[in-house]
Formats: sequence, C-alpha cells, structure tokens
Amino acid sequence: MDPALRAAATGMTAQQTRTQVIANNLANVNTPGFKRSRAQFEDLLYQTVQGTQVLGTADAQTNPAIQVGRGTRLAAVQRMHTQGAIDQTGRDLDVAIEGEGFFQVQLATGDLAYTRDGSFGISDQGVLVTSNGQAVVPTINIPNDVSEIGISPTGIVSVRRGNDVEPTEVGRLELVRFVNPSGLLALGQNLYAATAASGTPSVGFPSEDGMGRLQQGSLEASNVEIVQEMVEMITAMRAYEINSKAIKTSDEMGQIANNIAR
Amino acid sequence: MPPGAVRINGMTSAAASLAMLERRQAVLANNLANASTHGFKQERAFATLVADAVSAVDTRVDLTPGTLAPSGNPLDLALEGDGFFVVKTPAGERHVRGGSFHLDAERRVVDHAGNPLLTESGELTLPPGALSQLEVNASGDVKLAGKAVGRLRVESIAANANPQHEGGVRFIPDASRQPVAPEARRVAQGALEESNVNPMDAMTSMLDVLHRFGAAQKTIAALDSVRGIAVTDLGKPV
Repeated sequence: MDPALRAAATGMTAQQTRTQVIANNLANVNTPGFKRSRAQFEDLLYQTVQGTQVLGTADAQTNPAIQVGRGTRLAAVQRMHTQGAIDQTGRDLDVAIEGEGFFQVQLATGDLAYTRDGSFGISDQGVLVTSNGQAVVPTINIPNDVSEIGISPTGIVSVRRGNDVEPTEVGRLELVRFVNPSGLLALGQNLYAATAASGTPSVGFPSEDGMGRLQQGSLEASNVEIVQEMVEMITAMRAYEINSKAIKTSDEMGQIANNIAR
Repeated sequence: MPPGAVRINGMTSAAASLAMLERRQAVLANNLANASTHGFKQERAFATLVADAVSAVDTRVDLTPGTLAPSGNPLDLALEGDGFFVVKTPAGERHVRGGSFHLDAERRVVDHAGNPLLTESGELTLPPGALSQLEVNASGDVKLAGKAVGRLRVESIAANANPQHEGGVRFIPDASRQPVAPEARRVAQGALEESNVNPMDAMTSMLDVLHRFGAAQKTIAALDSVRGIAVTDLGKPV
C-alpha cells in the first residue's frame, strides 16, 4: 500500500484521539478536583530507503542515508496534576487540598482509591464519605447530635455536640502522595488507583512534610481552561483536515498512475 | 555525448520522475501526520539529477526550531535555538529536542518511552521533594528546592550533518556531536517545542507534487504515442 496514504491515515487517527481527550477535558470543566489530560504523539519508525553512500574514495564526501517516515502514533495521554483554583462554597464538609496530596477512600471492593475531590458527606452509619458514598480512610465517625463540624488546615476534624461550648476531636484526615502522580490510573468518579508507574503511596498528615494544607468550606475546581482547550480543538480539526487532503492527493496520484496504460 | 556516458531515453526519465514524486508525497504525508508531534523535525525532499537525465529523491532533516508553547509542567523541557538533550536508550545515546519528561518509580527523570535523561554525571535522579519546587535554568542546571542536583547535557552537531531519525522523536547522533558550553545554552523549563511542520507550506508542496505527477504521466503518454506511430505507421506501404 502507498506509504503516503498510510502515514496520512495515522495522522488522522492521532488527531481524532487528541479531540477525544480535549472533549473529555471540556466535559469535566465543572468537575471538582478534575485534572486535565494531554495527548502526546511521537513519529513512527523510519524506513531507510538508501543507506549512507560514500562518493569516490573513502575519505571523500559521503551522502547521508535517505529515510522516509511512516507517520505518527499516540505516545501517551498525560494527566496534568497542576493545582486547580480554590472555590469558596461555605459548606462545612467541602474540603479543598492546597498543594500536593490525595484523600484516601475505600471502594466497595475493599481496595483503596485516591481523590482530590473533597465534597464529603455523612453516611447513614455516621461515617465521613465522598459524594459517591465511599468511606474516607482512616474512618472518621461523626456523632449524630452534632451542631457544628470544623476541619483544620492540618486535617483535625472536631465537632461541637448538642449544647457543648468546647469542640471535641473526632479524628484526623490523612493525605497520601505519589512519586509520579501522572502515572495514576483514573477510575472515573474522580478516583485514581495506584499503579507501578505512580509508585506506592506515602501517607502523611496535611500541612506536614510537604503535604498540601486543607481548606474547609472550599472545593478545588477543575484545572481545565476553556480557552486553551478551544485553541487545541481548532488546531486538531485543521490538522485532521490537512491529513485528509494528503490522502486525497495520494489517491489522485494513484488515479493518474493508473491512466499511464490505456 | 561524452564517451562512457549513459544514454537514457525520455520514458525512463519520466518513470523516474514519477517514482521521485511518489516518494516526495510519502515524505510530505509523514510531515503532515506529525504536525502536532512535540519536538518533531520535518524532512525536506529534494530531487537530484543522476546522469543528467534521471531524477532521484534525496532527503534532509530540517532542524529549524519550532515554536515554544508554554505548558507549565515543571518537567517539560525545550531548547531555544540549536542543540539537543541526551537520553540513554538500550541502543545507545540518542539526541532529543526536549519533550515532556516524568519521574519513574525510582524518581529518575525519563521520557515517555522510559529512557533516562542524562546529566553530566549520568542519569538524573531527583531527591524526595515536590516537583513544583524543581527549577531548571537556561544553562541546564537542575535544582530541587534550591539544592543543586546536576547539570543537563546539551550537545550540538555540525551544521552540515544530517542526523538520522530513529522514531519516537529521537535522532541518532553522528560523529560531529560536541557539548555546548553552559553560557551558550538556552534551556526553557515548562515549555514544549511544537512540530516545525508548516501546514501551508506542505499543502502547496503537495499540490505541486500532484501537478508534476500529472505532467510526467502525460510525457509518458506522449512518448508512447510517438512510438505507436513509429511502429504502426512507418512500415505501411504507401
């Protein structure tokens, strides 16, 4: 098959993938704690159609090899773990992380997962849970006669019960961080799982040893910037179009070649 | 005609021209397919004349720098102007124009294929600490939270060298490689170099290829009909 056709086809596939990534970023522009992704491409192996040639004697001029490329491929879809803006919500159980770290939650399967989305709630068992109902690890029990909940920048959860004046401490939130957060596996529902690429999680308390600090009454907004994504989308569309023109040109050349013999 | 020269007929020239144009189109299609590959360098295809009558294709890598796009990622590195970073692959050291690096499980700085980026003292392993405190200055000195970790290797090749593509936006360095002095480097952190393919340029070249292809085919058709006349008409009794 014509190498030009194949190379142009890989170009179209690449732009299609890029558009999918952009569309997902844009769809999550209002998802708290969402981190945008970026598609990365690399060129494919080259075919050396003619090796390096020596013209004349050995120390004379050499002609470099002639290489023809075979197109492009997706190298990685990289998640950008940059800080999102902190939105004030005023809700007691909304907690934003300013800086590095993830909250630890337990899935229904018993496995641990990690999230930056701190829109917590209280389950019917009186346990602190995420908006999807996964229990926060370590478990924090909130008594049912609570009138006020306070979460400090260092993660200490304290409550005021009934008509008490002094708050009582009921637990402390922990954060985990990873050597390479870009290597985390996205599970959906704002959750991530550890992989060999991300490294094993190291647990610590907020505001200690480089961990981020917590801010109660706020949520971390998605780090997607609409303008940036729109520009990317326009570029992707034009690149898609131009690759389709390459296919059309190669096709027309094929037709011309077929007309040589009548 | 000088003695020893090869006599080539028009048919062969036209056929060689078709083959050359086909290859040229393959090169253009590869450039366009990589229009959004960070750090990609386009190939330029030239026609060269063999024996004064047959055209053959010759390619050169166009090392014109691409535009630097800010990305804000501390491990996205690019070079302004000429030069290459050095990565270690299983097949040997390779040149790259930069790109988006990340940490592997051992906190080494690696490219997307897992090849470690090299400093003057070997692989670059970052001590524990937040990536947001990573600093790379213009001469390639890497600092984490103010503490020096190493200096990146930056090399250049001779102006007339033609580096070979390896795929994966890596180049195989040739013998003319040499280190760039720290003061002459311009390393940009938090930026990615865009592909240097100019789509308008490639589109025009592609139309050019298409029309020349048509012209070469017409030449073959015309030469064929001349021969047809010679074969069928010349022998006829008057």
